[in-house]
Amino acid sequence: MSDTLSRRGFFAAFRRPFERRAAPVLPPVIKAEQPAAASAPVAKVAIVQGRFCIALTSFCAACVERCPVSGAMKKERGMPMVVADVCTGCGICHDVCPAPRNAVLMLPRRQPSTPQPA
Amino acid sequence: MIQRREFNRMTALAAAAAAAKARAQNAPAAPAASNDGIAWDKAPCRFCGTGCHVRVGVKNGRVVAIEGDQLAEVNKGLLCVKGYHVGLALYGKDRLTQPLLRRNGVLEPISWEEAVETISQKIMAAPEQFAIYGSGQWTIPEGYAANKFIKAGLSSNHIDPNARLCMASAVTGFLSVYGVDEPAGCYDDLDKCDVLILWGNNMAEMHPVLFSRVIDRRTRGERVTLIDIGTRRTRTSEFCDHYLEFRPHSDLAIMNGIAHLLIKKNAFDPKFVEKFCNFRQSPKDPAASPTAPLNGEAMSFDDYKAALEPYTPEHVEKLSGVPAEKIRMLGDLFADKKIRITSTWCMGFNQHSRGTNANRLCHGIHLLSGHFGRPGDAPTSLTGQPSACGTAREVGTMCQFLPGGLQILNEEHRHEAEHIWNVPQGRIHPKIGHHTMLMWERFCTPAEKGGDIRTIWVQVTNPGQTLPNLHRFFKAKAGQPDKFLIVSDVYRTATTELADLVLPSAMWVEKNGMFGNSERRTQQWFRMVRPPGEARDDAWQMIAVARRLHDLGHAGMKDKDGRFLFTFKNDKGEEVPVWEWPRYYDVNVDKALFEEYRLFSRHKHKDLAPYDEYVKARGLRWPVVQQADGSWRETKFRFSEFDDPYVKKGAEIQFYHSVTKDDKALIWFAPAEKAAEEPDAEFPFWLCTGRVLEHWHSGSLTRRIPQLHASMPHSYVEMHPEDAREKGFTNGETITVRTRRGGLRLPVWIDGRGHPPRGSLFIPFFDERLLCNDITLGDIDPVSKQPDYKKCAAAVARA
Ligand code: SF4
Ligand code: SF4
Ligand code: SF4
Repeated sequence: MSDTLSRRGFFAAFRRPFERRAAPVLPPVIKAEQPAAASAPVAKVAIVQGRFCIALTSFCAACVERCPVSGAMKKERGMPMVVADVCTGCGICHDVCPAPRNAVLMLPRRQPSTPQPA
Repeated sequence: MIQRREFNRMTALAAAAAAAKARAQNAPAAPAASNDGIAWDKAPCRFCGTGCHVRVGVKNGRVVAIEGDQLAEVNKGLLCVKGYHVGLALYGKDRLTQPLLRRNGVLEPISWEEAVETISQKIMAAPEQFAIYGSGQWTIPEGYAANKFIKAGLSSNHIDPNARLCMASAVTGFLSVYGVDEPAGCYDDLDKCDVLILWGNNMAEMHPVLFSRVIDRRTRGERVTLIDIGTRRTRTSEFCDHYLEFRPHSDLAIMNGIAHLLIKKNAFDPKFVEKFCNFRQSPKDPAASPTAPLNGEAMSFDDYKAALEPYTPEHVEKLSGVPAEKIRMLGDLFADKKIRITSTWCMGFNQHSRGTNANRLCHGIHLLSGHFGRPGDAPTSLTGQPSACGTAREVGTMCQFLPGGLQILNEEHRHEAEHIWNVPQGRIHPKIGHHTMLMWERFCTPAEKGGDIRTIWVQVTNPGQTLPNLHRFFKAKAGQPDKFLIVSDVYRTATTELADLVLPSAMWVEKNGMFGNSERRTQQWFRMVRPPGEARDDAWQMIAVARRLHDLGHAGMKDKDGRFLFTFKNDKGEEVPVWEWPRYYDVNVDKALFEEYRLFSRHKHKDLAPYDEYVKARGLRWPVVQQADGSWRETKFRFSEFDDPYVKKGAEIQFYHSVTKDDKALIWFAPAEKAAEEPDAEFPFWLCTGRVLEHWHSGSLTRRIPQLHASMPHSYVEMHPEDAREKGFTNGETITVRTRRGGLRLPVWIDGRGHPPRGSLFIPFFDERLLCNDITLGDIDPVSKQPDYKKCAAAVARA
């Protein structure tokens, strides 16, 4: 994928037009919350808790779609996986996860790569 | 692997709170609150036509938890992402809680008495210029009350549901093939089929629980071949063995190609065809009679063969872009009687200006090949709304129907309805009313120019967002002071923007209700919590206005014996004035309306069980027929002797409502045609619109659910990376999409969720801030009058 088409570009712009448009004639728009890690001082890494993830039952892939870092998330047999070494800990995947129990945990980054529970 | 069972203990609302807290501390979510003090009851999910059942947990008068209902056959405890959060749909911050009347341009609170009086005066002034625009989200009793009110009370047929925008072509498809509406098969077919063909049907996003039922089979090691035939790669395509991409509007060519091969190779099922089928084509003169377009004219098998002659695989490849060898593959599949093939479709066929024909051809290839009438061998349409079948179709809230599949144009049917309603013969108007598109067109047209609809009452739907070509069919109402728009809803919407009177409604478990899902399953629930403020049931609103008209002396509000049309008695036999809101729940009005409606259901063998049977069940599929032992048995596979009690012994298959009255179904021929507006030099792209997983239709409910909103915050336009590169668009850049109807600025999403082919765009319609219907065309199918939202010509430019 070329630079002009990077995911980062898309999602940097993802909120912009809506914050401008968000004072509409129409009812107040519920705003997406800001990334949890934006103000957190500790370096974080995301992990997906498989048992809470609804990718295989509701065909959700919001985290994979919205992760701004190319290669930080991949799908394995339909399930999202975080590549810990690439993940920047931005927390967007956590914020967009619509599962009844949020399936993305943001953990403090300790080892270079965090094992994932199945 | 995920166990379905694990989801049962997930309580979405409690979990959401825990998750928010967890986020603040960036720690794992605490276990969901214990169940203490929570009262549980059953209800179907408020959202889609899949018709999952949920268990609703109520504490202190609020819905506090939602679980998948394990006793429900449809979902076996599972829900999709919308279903898990369905309880939150009740608790958006801006629920409507008071009637509002527009004065000097501003919506101001008024009392219910004033509201009911205002509507009644509008109707009294010009009853024939009043119309009701209803919904496949109406509960069955609500739709029935509205239908009776206008057809028996006002002698007017100007009522149509939003299902006109959604399932109308499926209806005309079923009617013209089998003589009676709704699928023969059911969801069990998905468990049994060897091949599932998804005709323009993105089941993974639109009917996720159904799709998981299929995918689950694979994880259990069963073999099922999935074939996606569509115009854009979707999340569903990712799971399919074959993805066949066709040029928009050319799906009819593909189906003709399959029929051509079956005949050419003598691989059709001659026994089935001879015993159970006749052939039909569109009439040469559609204006010959009002039923001509629906019933068509007979053709011989030889004529049928000749008509298919040109549709060789190579010719079909030229028309559709699908490689000839893939057409041959489909032909071989249908030729193989050993396998079982289920076809599903939804808006791809229905929102199609040749939608009726698309439906007919799909039934046709199943009938021609004999892939019909065994579990797993069925052509089945899926509905988008929870009660598109139950309310819009079965209750007959369309402008050409009466309840139970009776037809306005049929004099005997009218008399039968008049008999059940106990109104004088001739009370029901013999002409069909204005269908949705005509209704809104006439509403938007000034009276002196033929705009013969002055007042529309909208319930449980959002036409200001969902009608096509909104400038023409909705927004043109603005600035016409003699036009009066009444909207009953739970939130402000794009429709209330132009409303003159807004009525706050109770929704879902704030009232008693019944829905009917895609597989003929009728479902029931009870009120569990009170609606906020002064919000009241939609059926009550209708009955209160009827009563006010009665008191003002409108003769139609009385039956033959001078009794009010909506007279309900309690157990002691006393009449209860249910039009007084505090008395509305003194009797179960839903039950009373349903028991009356049930009398209609026998005519077309859509038999419904007594209300109390539905209280016990997680829905029952009609015809529900009483057994010798007094129990009630549902029917999974209609027209097949092994399961349908109405099929004669020894008949094997019997289409007992056959159009040709000989127990045979009709195999139609219909040619592939060009779309009304195809891309050209000025507007070089196809524009398709549709839905997304997280949002339910116009998003007025799901956009108020924080989890769903965060997951899909706004609309976008999808385009192919090569097209974007050529135009120099970066991902996320705001661009303008223009059609002959207008322009829309929105961000472009490249390599996003869906993958349109080159020269093609896709925009979801859930976002009221970015109304794609400002620019859609809405060319209508001549038979079903359903508009096409899936194709028009568009251009793109830097914003
Ligand atoms: S935390 Fe950010 S970078 Fe890491 S996986 Fe989630 S979205 Fe991607
Ligand atoms: S967003 Fe959440 S539920 Fe959806 S796939 Fe990712 S982890 Fe799973
Ligand atoms: S699939 Fe449809 S009915 Fe089932 S939970 Fe999801 S939205 Fe509700």
